[in-house]
Order: sequence, then C-alpha cells, then structure tokens
Amino acid sequence: MTDESKLAPIRKGLLEFLVLKIVGTESMYVPDILRRLAGTEFSTQEGTLYPLLSKLRREDLVHYEWKESDLGPPRKYYRLTDSGRAQLTALDEYWNLINRTIADIGH
Amino acid sequence: MQRISVTARLNRSTLQFEEAAFVRLESYLAEAARTLEGNPDQQEILNDLEQAVADQCTRRTRPDQGAVTLAELEPALEEIGSVQVPGAAAAPEYSARAATRPLQQVSEGAVVSGVCQGLARYFGLNVTALRIFAVLLLFISGGGMILVYFAFMLLMPYAPLEPGGRPLGWLPAKSRVFIEFLRTKFRLATN
Repeated sequence: MTDESKLAPIRKGLLEFLVLKIVGTESMYVPDILRRLAGTEFSTQEGTLYPLLSKLRREDLVHYEWKESDLGPPRKYYRLTDSGRAQLTALDEYWNLINRTIADIGH
Repeated sequence: MQRISVTARLNRSTLQFEEAAFVRLESYLAEAARTLEGNPDQQEILNDLEQAVADQCTRRTRPDQGAVTLAELEPALEEIGSVQVPGAAAAPEYSARAATRPLQQVSEGAVVSGVCQGLARYFGLNVTALRIFAVLLLFISGGGMILVYFAFMLLMPYAPLEPGGRPLGWLPAKSRVFIEFLRTKFRLATN
C-alpha cells in the first residue's frame, strides 16, 4: 500500500496542468470540468477549482466569457489564452521529459 | 408557531432557506471568505461559490418545495467542498512560483491605484502590512513617498480587469484612467 500522504502533493501539483489540458480542448464551464475529472485520480470540487481558475486567470493563462443558459443564470465558460496554450505545450513537453527520465533511470 | 424561512440572494439566484440551513450557509461562506482573505479575486470566487450552492440546492430540491432544509444543504456543501487556495499548503513552492508572476498593479480592491496589492502579490507579502508600511514611509519621508508611489504607478503595468467583475473604487478607476492617459500621451511602454 502506497503512502497516501506522498501521493497527495503530486496530484495537487498536477491539477493545474490537468485543468489547462481540459479547457484547452474546448471552452467549458465548471461542472463540465468537474465531470471530466470525476472518477480519475484528480477528482476535485468547486471549492478547489474556483480559486485555481481565478489564479490561472490572473496569470493570464485562461479567460472566461459569460454564456446564457436555458436552465438558469448565465454561466462562465473558461478557455485558454494564447499564453495559456504556450504554457500547456511547455508543460506537455516537460511532462514527457520527466516520464522518460523516470523510465530510464535505474536501468 | 410557524417555522421562519429566510430569502437569500446567492449571486444571480434567489432561494428560500430554513433558518438552520441559512445559518449553516452563512458560516460556510464566512469561512470561505476568511480562507480567501487577501486574494484579489476574493469577491469573485465567493460569487462563484454562492452560485454553485444555489445550483446544487436547486438540483436537490423539487421546484414546488418551500425552503431548503439543513439536511438538503449539508450534502450540497459536502460536494462543493471547503475552499482550497492553490499552493497555500506548500508555502515555499508558492513563493518560488510567485516570482514568475508578472509585477502588475491590481485595481480591484485597491486603495489608491493598486501598487501595494501588486507588490504584495508579486513578493508574497501581506497587503495590509505593506500598506501600513507605505503610510509610515509617507510620514517619515515628509511626502517624498508620494513621488515614489507615483513612479510605481507609472512604471508598473495594470493587471487585466475582470470582465463583468466587481466595480472599481472611485480613486482606483480614476488613477487607472489617468495613468493610461499619461502613458499614451508620452508613449511610455510598460510591457
């Protein structure tokens, strides 16, 4: 059994990457993002996601627009900015590099 | 005797809550506000959470039902979860990352122009402490601090404004317009 306390910080650090990836495919509102993550290791909650998205918006990596909804008040749809896309590409490359390092080391 | 229900405006929705549920919701939001203390987006995140609560409660109750009960509110709050500030638990990592963030003035919630908020965000300082320090310097310097502040206003770019976000105070709004006017006039590049 792996020590959960060692895995939690890894997931926490990667959540931002995952969120960038998700909003990189199409513009999404928060319940969509939560559904994409539900059932994965990165399953999360509004209480975590809203502060994270606001931080990403301040860093100019994502932005949102209001869209009308038939079911209630207008919703915020998030998507990547150009610098968000550049950041995502860089993270993707770095992630691949780390993966190779982990696979190669100790052989 | 009749049970009292409370009408609450949650961001863009209006809902009825039983007294006990309303008190619970108030304490949840107060706790969230405390966790987000000093975050320039505090109000916006609170609005998002209020909307999430409203959506959850609407989904969990029948349309013809009266007030939301505590028993219905609890699982809704459970699903939304308590507010987690990104990077807050890992303080050293947070300050290392803060250095990669742009040094910008933050107009929302600013007192004058957002210089202190911008510096506090960039260096990971407490904004209130920084403001007190700035006011002390103002007295010690015999007003020279005004020039220093003005230089910062001119040289620090403004962080992008919230689309449809909370309105700026009178002075931050005027400062921003004035500085941007000066920059265009004298072609001062800040980026």
